[in-house]
This record gives sequence, C-alpha cells and structure tokens, in this order.
Amino acid sequence: MSDTNSLIHLDLLQLVYAYALILLSVSLARFRQIGQERQMLWASLRMVVQLLAVGYLLQLIFTVRSPLLVILILLTMTGFSLQIVGSRIKQRMPGFYRIMGSSILIGCGGITFYFCLLVVGYTPWHDPRYLIPLAGMIIGNSMNGASLAAERLAAEMRERHDELETALCLGATARQAAEPALRTAYKAALIPTMNTMAATGIVALPGMMTGQILSGTEPMLAVRYQIAIMCAITAAVAITAFLILLQGYRGYFTPADQLRNTP
Amino acid sequence: MPATTTSPLLQLEQLTSVRPGPQNRPLTVLSAVSCSFRQGELTALIGPSGSGKSSLIRLINRLDDPLQGQILLEGQDIRELAPPLLRQRIGMMLQKAHLFEGTVLDNLQQPFRYRKKPLPGPDDPHITRCLTLARLTPDFLERDARTLSGGEQQRVSLARTLISQPQALLLDEPTSALDRPTTDSLGQTLQELCRSEQLAIILVTHDLRLAERISDQLLYMEQGRIVEIGRTTELFERPQSEGLRSFLSEPETEKT
Repeated sequence: MSDTNSLIHLDLLQLVYAYALILLSVSLARFRQIGQERQMLWASLRMVVQLLAVGYLLQLIFTVRSPLLVILILLTMTGFSLQIVGSRIKQRMPGFYRIMGSSILIGCGGITFYFCLLVVGYTPWHDPRYLIPLAGMIIGNSMNGASLAAERLAAEMRERHDELETALCLGATARQAAEPALRTAYKAALIPTMNTMAATGIVALPGMMTGQILSGTEPMLAVRYQIAIMCAITAAVAITAFLILLQGYRGYFTPADQLRNTP
Repeated sequence: MPATTTSPLLQLEQLTSVRPGPQNRPLTVLSAVSCSFRQGELTALIGPSGSGKSSLIRLINRLDDPLQGQILLEGQDIRELAPPLLRQRIGMMLQKAHLFEGTVLDNLQQPFRYRKKPLPGPDDPHITRCLTLARLTPDFLERDARTLSGGEQQRVSLARTLISQPQALLLDEPTSALDRPTTDSLGQTLQELCRSEQLAIILVTHDLRLAERISDQLLYMEQGRIVEIGRTTELFERPQSEGLRSFLSEPETEKT
C-alpha cells in the first residue's frame, strides 16, 4: 500500500530534537517566570510514556494471529468505551448499561465488520493490523454520539413530562408520545458527526488522512480511505444512537402506556 | 338535576393505591375508595391538598394503576381495554394544559395523528362542533396556540379532549390559574357540556364556589378516603362530618 522509499524513519536522535522543542518552551516559561513549566514537563513525559506503551502494545497485538484473541481485544475496547460513557453521564436511563452495551456492540461492531469485509476487503478478516485501528476509530467516534443520545434522552424525558402525559391522555401510545423527544435526542447525537463531515477538508485535514500521506500514501488514495471511514463512522453513530433511543425510551413507560416514576 | 335511572358509567370498587415514600417505604395514597359516576352528571371532587383527589382521577384513565381494586367502564374492567382506546373514551385535562407547538388547528388534529386517521381541515364539521362546545370561535383555528391567554388555552385543551368524543371527562383543577370571571365562564361551559353531551364529568377543584354552583354530586376526600359523597346541594346545606363542615367554613382564600 505505501511506498516505503518516501517514508522517512525517525531515529532516536531525531526524537530528541523534537523533544528539545518542549524543553525550549519549558525554559522560556521558567526564564520569563510565567509558570506552567512543571505541568508542561509532566504532561509531555506522560505523553511520551503512554505513546511508547501503546506502540509496544500495538506491535504485540499485530503479531496476534488468533481470531478469538482479536475479538477479545475488541470486546475489551467496547467495555472501556462503555465505562467511559457511563462515567461521563450523570442522568442514566433505566437499564443504562444493558442498552448502551448492546447498542454499541451491534452498531459499531456491525459497521466495523461490514467495513473490513466489504469495503476494505483484506484477508484474513481478523488481521489486527486493520481491524484494531479501524474498530478503534469507529468506536471512539461513536462514543460521543452514544453519550449524547443517552444524555439528551434522559433530559428530554424529564423536561417534557407534561407534554408526554398530555399526549398519553389524548390516546397516544408510548412510542407516539415519545416521538418528539426521540427526534430531538437523535438530532443532538448526530450533529457533531455531521459538523465534522461539513468541515472536513476545509477547516481541518483529518488525522488519518494526514497520517497516511505522511507515511507515503498517494493523497488521492488517502482521500478515498478518509471518505470510506467517514461514511462508516457516520453510519456507526447513526445506528448506535438509533438503537439506544429505541430501546431507551421504553424504560420510561410501563407496558400499559403509562409514564413510570423515574428518579 | 337530571333524572338518571340507568346504571352508572363508571364504577370504582375498593381502590387502594400507594406510592414510594421516604426510604422506599410505600405510602398509602388511597385506601378502599368506592364510588360511581353517571352520564350527564357533574361531580366535584373536593378536599384538602394531599387528600388523594388527583391520584384518584389518574386511575380512571389509567395514567396510574391501583394496587388493589378495580374500575368498571360500562361494566367492563378498564384493564381489558387498550390504554390508548380507554383514554379516548375517558378524556382528561391535566392541571397544566400543554398545548403542542403550532396553531389551534394543529392541536385539534393531534388525536387524529395518534389514531393514524386522515387529518380534518378547518371546515370539518367535527372540528367546528368541538370548538363550539368549548365556546371558541372558528377564527381561533389559525392562531398560534401558545400565544393564547390562560382561559383560552384551557378552552383549546377542552376542545382537543372533546375531539375523541369521550363518554367521561376528568379535569384536574382546570381553573386554578384563572381569574374569577374566566373560572365562572369555563364552569358554565362544563355544565352545559355535561347536559348536552351526556358526559360524566369529574372535576377536581379547590374552588368551593365553583363546586357548589355547577356540580350535581359532591365527593369530599380526606387522607385518601372518601369521607362524604352525595348531592351537592344537600352536602353544602347539611354536611354530616366534622371534616367537611370545617372545610366548607374555612375562608375561601385558604383553598385557592
């Protein structure tokens, strides 16, 4: 895929030159006594250690040949994303973890495999070199949409209490009563992704594309990859948010189309 | 007083209801409430705050379910009916009328959307009829529902409830935010509606003057129990219980 001739390797000395930029900033801060030098130093060291660690981890994972182990890694990634989303959201809908877990698993998992098998179409399908980074991008981007959908749903159901009961009194089913709340929450979940699509290429050059170009890929090929991954991310956000909302609103109603008393 | 010899439209039998209280211990809201309501009869439901008036009417269209007891609509247990259909037969106006975004016509069309029926236009006789019953004129149809006055909003809410042609009408303090003349005029509308459409109307109110003026049956509740039930004129003249006697003699301002 990449033309290795144009790929410039970074050796240790070159990295030291790069890190010197941090040291320059730190000494500037120290010299002019504007503070933040300790924080800058600490943050930069963390960054270096974390990235080196993840590099070794990825190299290790890329040697994995067992499909089962790759799936296990993907599930662990999903678990972490679930935990992050859960800790970020204060107001959780009833059955939060069951709904979020299944939605992320079906939404992101389904899209990831569709993308890997049909769009990129490499073999073997479980090659971690493709599967892990692609899944990471899809899950990472969908997390935002997922938490927005869940957060907005909880808020809408609380704020629209009177409207929901009025609709029920007029003979609406739970689904019909919740419809306006679901629409608003779905819109909120999709807006960041749609904004990113609109701004891509004009305001910001996407990271994946830039990375591919720097590592020697033809710009047109990198662009094609970027288009494909953006489609996948959008679909993953859309499907995950849709599943969250569709399952989530039910928890606010009883089977007899009554509003449940939620705290 | 209408001479009603037919069997009651609604029979409430031994209703007991609880809600979660502090430390999740159940708090009794209603205990063993039994009563009945007839078509063409307007019942006023009075009693101190927290006596279970709103909780009681919320059971009748199944916004909530009782812990024990049953409610019969024309002899049939309401749990046998699909809740959306039940709520079309037993209309309810909540205390705060929530009007949907859009015009008055949009609001009146809303029940048709829920039933997936074709939407009636502004000239539809059914729309005009419900407007007239709620004492609104056709020029209201094109107005933005949310810019109307409190009294007008309640009338739109009333007309919207009538769209489904209910047999009974539950009203939870519909006049609590209205001034005296608007209250009296809405009360009169309800009374006329009750007669002309043979509706069973159950009105929860703090307004004793309104209750005395328009209701046929009076129901006095205290702490989740019915203390007295009877003809309004009789109970106002000769309250039997100490509770109702002192409730009726308290100055009006304390109850509104």
